[in-house]
Amino acid sequence: MADHRQGSRRRGQGELEALVLSALGEAEGPATAGWVQERLGGDLAYTTVITILTRLLAKGAVTRERAGRSFAWTQASDQAGLAAHRMRRVLDAESDREAVLASFVTGLGPDDERLLRELLGQSRGEGED
Amino acid sequence: MGVFVFLPLVLPLTAWPIARLAEQHLHPRTATRLLTAVAAVMALCSTVCLALVMVVGTAQLPGNPLPDGWSDPEVRAAVPFDEVVGKAAIPALCAVVVACARTLWRHARVRRRAHRALAGLPETGVAVLPDTLPYAYALPGGRRDRVVVTTGLLDHLQPAERRALFAHERAHLAARHHRFLLAVQLAARANPFLRPLRTAVSYTAERWADEEAAQAVGSRRTVARAIGRAALVSRGAPVATLAGFAAPGPVPRRVAALLGPAPVVRRWPSLFTAVGLAAWCAAAGTAVSAMSSANAAVTMVLILHAATPW
Repeated sequence: MADHRQGSRRRGQGELEALVLSALGEAEGPATAGWVQERLGGDLAYTTVITILTRLLAKGAVTRERAGRSFAWTQASDQAGLAAHRMRRVLDAESDREAVLASFVTGLGPDDERLLRELLGQSRGEGED
Repeated sequence: MGVFVFLPLVLPLTAWPIARLAEQHLHPRTATRLLTAVAAVMALCSTVCLALVMVVGTAQLPGNPLPDGWSDPEVRAAVPFDEVVGKAAIPALCAVVVACARTLWRHARVRRRAHRALAGLPETGVAVLPDTLPYAYALPGGRRDRVVVTTGLLDHLQPAERRALFAHERAHLAARHHRFLLAVQLAARANPFLRPLRTAVSYTAERWADEEAAQAVGSRRTVARAIGRAALVSRGAPVATLAGFAAPGPVPRRVAALLGPAPVVRRWPSLFTAVGLAAWCAAAGTAVSAMSSANAAVTMVLILHAATPW
């Protein structure tokens, strides 16, 4: 049992979110936190599931609606959507990310846009290949 | 030794015209390698020089742990204006060390965070993220190198242009461009005069990947169109430049270069062309810088050795 719990703790935060999200994805329609916990094989504490669901809610990955005394949760986006959200946050946080992640294009200066349109227009004028 | 001690600190100024000429005239691959090597050597020399001056400067401070002999008048005579310069060198070297450490740490952090953000996705070479924000990055390291691209960008490109985009990013990863970028970034931290080299290398690395992509796709014009379109959809964040001085930014220059003829790989060029002059100046500047700092280092070690009581 102790091993069990340690194992789940060792799994990163991102992985737990992914697990909960994929369990929620298998539900047909809105599901309660208890259902998600059961679906995960009772591996996680009920409060942990709630915590993760709340975190996913803050990220916009799930939505919830009141159902009686508790909430019913629905998946809003999938794994890729969650990854996109996390990546966006990394990019927003790092002002000099350009130095690490060679970006495909950098920002355009004031006259660049006009110049670029001219160049592209020229290239089209010369005939599409 | 006289004022020659300070030469490695100032010689990086010669990098300015070199960077400009090299990025215009050399093949991007050659230019990237040459400019990175020049930047690395010059930064190393300038740091060695700074460290030597600092040793002399620190030795005069009361209560320092260095041997007393090191503050001998003869040792101090080896460095002109030793009092002022020696003391100024201490914070300068500290600043260099801190700035370089911070750069390295940030580099590692961005990479770690970006990889963590992709956790849970299948371990493929390309990660397509459903996001309206158009961007594409080459993400090195982790369990495997990955290309990260959003649907927001892919939706705006034709199939051939998408291939160009992927080829471009893969070229970054295959040629380990992030190492060049990190090297020039550290160099720019070590000596601010080397900043033009950093700008130049980040441009030539992009050009290098553009040329590789053009070869992979088989059409320079397709790559040009892909870059142009990607830039126009992601133009949301304009670079802060003074409108009056706005030279064409890197993106139009890349597109223009791709619409022009392919660059040729030349052997070591003749001295009597603009390119040759730049290359030779770079080589000469680097050599002089390396020699004078080696000279300063050896002389200083000999003097300090002679001045050490044991």
